Amino acid sequence: MRSLLLKIEPIIWLLFGQGILIGTMLLTGWILVVGLLVPMGMVDASALSYQRAHGLATSWLFGILPVGQLVLAALLVLPLWKGAHHVRSLLIDFGGAERDGVVGGLLYGVAAVGSLIAILAVVGL
Amino acid sequence: MAGPAHPEAMAPPTPGRTRVAPPQMPATWWSAKRIRTYLLFDATGVIYFLVAFVAIRLVDALGAGPEAWNAAMESLRNPLYIVFHLLSLACVIFVAVRFFRLFPKSQPPMIGPLKPPPGPVIHAMLYVVWLGITALMTAILAGAIL
Repeated sequence: MRSLLLKIEPIIWLLFGQGILIGTMLLTGWILVVGLLVPMGMVDASALSYQRAHGLATSWLFGILPVGQLVLAALLVLPLWKGAHHVRSLLIDFGGAERDGVVGGLLYGVAAVGSLIAILAVVGL
Repeated sequence: MAGPAHPEAMAPPTPGRTRVAPPQMPATWWSAKRIRTYLLFDATGVIYFLVAFVAIRLVDALGAGPEAWNAAMESLRNPLYIVFHLLSLACVIFVAVRFFRLFPKSQPPMIGPLKPPPGPVIHAMLYVVWLGITALMTAILAGAIL
C-alpha cells in the first residue's frame, strides 16, 4: 500500500494543496452563511429557500459554464483531501510510520468515496 | 529517458535499523509552541473532513427535494451544529492565515521564464482573493446580490 501511495503522491498533493487553497477560500463564506448566519436567524431563511438554493446551485455563467455546480463540487471534494492528508500526517506524528500504509490508504479511500458521493450529489441537482 | 524511480530504491538492502533514525515526536511536544501550532494545523484536517461531509449531506438533500432541504436546514439550528460551525470558522481562518504566510516561502525562484512576485506581494494577493471570494459568497448566499 505504501508503494501505491508513493506512486500517486503527485495526485494526492495536488488535491491536498487545492484543498487548503481553494477549499479554504470557498469554505469561509459557506460556513459563515449556511452554518451560522442563517441558522442563528441573523440572515433571513428565505435567502436559502429551496427554490433560491437550487437556482444558485444550478446556475450557469454566460450559458456555457455551470458555475454553481463547479463551485459546489470544489467546496465538497477538495476539503476532503486536505482533511485526509493532514489527519494522516497527524497520525504519523503520534503513532509512527509503521501503519502509515494502511492508515493512509484508509483515509484517502474515505476521501475518494466521499468525493464520488459529492460529485454524484452535485451532478444529480 | 530514465523511467520513474522505484519507490523502495532508497530502502536498506536488509530490514532492520539504519543509521538514520525515523522521526519521532518529542515527549515534550506540548511545551513547544511551534510544534503545538504545527499539530493544530494538522488537526484542522478533522474539521475539514466533517465540514465537507455536512456540506455533502446538504447538497444531497437539495437534490432530494424541498422537504429534505428544509429538514436539513432546520437541523443546522441545533446548538451542536452552531458550535461545530463556530469551531469550523475558527479553523478555516487559522488555516488561511498560516497557509498564506507559508505560501510565499514555498515559491520556486523561477516559474518558467518568469520570476514570481516578491513574497509580501503574493501574501497580499492571497488575502485580497480570499476576502474577495468570502465577501462575494457571503453576499450571494445571504441574498444581498443575485
